[in-house]
Amino acid sequence: MADLEARGIPTVGVATTEFIEGAAAQAKSLGIDPALVFVPHPVQDRTDDELKKLADDHLAPILAMLVKG
Amino acid sequence: MTDQLPRDGLVAVVKRDCPTCVLTAPVLGDLARNNGLTVYTQDDPSFPKTVPGRIDDTALGISHGLKIEIVPTLIRFEAGREVDRTYGWDRGEWQRLTGVAELGRDLPETRPGCGAKNIEPGVIERLKVRFNETGLKSRRIEIGEDEDEQEAMYARGWSDGLPLVPPTEERVLRMLDGTARDPQEVLGLVPPALTAATVEKIAVNAVMAGCKPEYLPVVLAAVEAVLDESFAMHGVLATTMFVGPVVVVNGPVRRRIGMNAKGNALGQGNRANAAIGRGLQLVIRNIGEGRPQEVDRATLGNPGKLTYCFAEDEEGSSWEPFSVERGLKPGQSAVTVFAGYGLQGIVDQTSRDPESLARSFAGSLRALSNVRQAPSCDALLVVCPEHHRTFRNAGWSKARLYEELYRLCEISGADLVAGAHGIAEGRRPSLAGKTVNKFRPGGIMIVRAGGDAGMFSGIIAGWSAGGPRSSLPVTKEVRN
Amino acid sequence: MTVLLDPTSERSPIIRPRLPRPERLDGLTIGILDIAKSRGDVFLHRLGERIGERGIVVKHYAKPTNTRVAPLPLRQQIAAEVNLVIEGLSD
Repeated sequence: MADLEARGIPTVGVATTEFIEGAAAQAKSLGIDPALVFVPHPVQDRTDDELKKLADDHLAPILAMLVKG
Repeated sequence: MTDQLPRDGLVAVVKRDCPTCVLTAPVLGDLARNNGLTVYTQDDPSFPKTVPGRIDDTALGISHGLKIEIVPTLIRFEAGREVDRTYGWDRGEWQRLTGVAELGRDLPETRPGCGAKNIEPGVIERLKVRFNETGLKSRRIEIGEDEDEQEAMYARGWSDGLPLVPPTEERVLRMLDGTARDPQEVLGLVPPALTAATVEKIAVNAVMAGCKPEYLPVVLAAVEAVLDESFAMHGVLATTMFVGPVVVVNGPVRRRIGMNAKGNALGQGNRANAAIGRGLQLVIRNIGEGRPQEVDRATLGNPGKLTYCFAEDEEGSSWEPFSVERGLKPGQSAVTVFAGYGLQGIVDQTSRDPESLARSFAGSLRALSNVRQAPSCDALLVVCPEHHRTFRNAGWSKARLYEELYRLCEISGADLVAGAHGIAEGRRPSLAGKTVNKFRPGGIMIVRAGGDAGMFSGIIAGWSAGGPRSSLPVTKEVRN
Repeated sequence: MTVLLDPTSERSPIIRPRLPRPERLDGLTIGILDIAKSRGDVFLHRLGERIGERGIVVKHYAKPTNTRVAPLPLRQQIAAEVNLVIEGLSD
């Protein structure tokens, strides 16, 4: 993510809530403030329909991280 | 730290690597056994064997707190405060301070001490950083464990494109040792952001540029010079034209810090030349926020905007140093800043007399900016030693050469008029019957530099529209 | 951890700010990068469908393996072909 931003491409990362602390630590050690959206953990054992609903539910916050304001 | 020291009693600080400390070892043993002396050792925790209860101060925290400068140092505390101290070995002093008559009877009367470890160069800076006593005011930036230092500095926009020396607190403290000036002294406001340039902030940039502490006074003088109103730094930065500050150094400082005035003086390879010029540019970039494609609108710029700094070759010259021409006293160290760019070479390997060589110079001078433009930019003419020799052998002073060059740069108006000789650029037709000088009075400046072999002088051209209405060269003394 | 002194005017914040975002998404291309953790592809493809419904161009990319960073040619390709990126799904 940091690499793409360094190349001038605004980026938003999507992760499960399990990753919240890890993401914060990584960001601190790299001195960056990445745009992140968290979806409820777990993801591995969900059905296709559940995953599609997760995507529908989080579309707006994800796109919001890619525009100004 | 202070709760390790006795409230009442004697303290000694020693190091093994000190013959006088070794000499006093038996005395220390006696005092430890009989008079409650506490001994701190700066280097080898096994010394002195005569004091089994000695305390390891190899981390130097106690020594730093007690401000030890010489070892051995002997201190008396009463009610938690220091009341007396002595250093080195002096039998009379030690007897008086300890109250032990007959102390050290078998030792010589006196012996001087040695320098303490905690004030060695490098060590004192580390201790000041550790105990937060640096007095430095710049914001601290923590570089994350997984960040590469170089990438971190690039990502924060500090670089001119080349790698930087990371400005740690220790390096900045050592850099500030290069000047007697107060780190918080403000030299001026740096355009375009008009941020205060303190000695400390300049030192941070000087560290990044690769300067040694002894270069700092020259960097400070260069910053003072560009911040002088008549240099018009904002304009020099913001212009679409090519220029950046060019720094010429005169006086004893050149030799002291090892600058290059000889072969390849305007090129690469000399640390002082390169780092001083670069330090100035980093100050403009970081403190002033002057950056390309932001306030810096230069169309092409020029390589000198990375660094452009050299020393004049004064030794063996029959001409006065440039700084003297600019009004300073002979023997004063000084910098002159000039808004200039690039190098236009003058190749003349044939002229045997000064008149012919001056015509070569003038021909090149008349082409600056545009052959059609007069008056034109200022020019810094760098005369190489072999060319200077031609003038010296003919007995031409610098004044004589100036006179000749100005005369040769009078241009017929007919050649300048717009459209003449098929060039659209040019002046108004009413000039046709007149002559115009290529330069304003004082617009040509001459310095001597370069290797002893080679008949190649050069012109550093200035900022078109240069002169009293825009940027004037500024000379400042180098102060310690 | 290294501490450096700030050489600048100190007018900008210490943490490096994110890149400025565009005002609107219209006319831009969004890249979706699958970091190759299992089931992420279903989620990301659905995102791509829904974004496409809005008339925004979407391109899909995938890391060859989750265990290593995206190879340089892939990163260069993405940077050349899109304006914005959604990267996921980390867990």
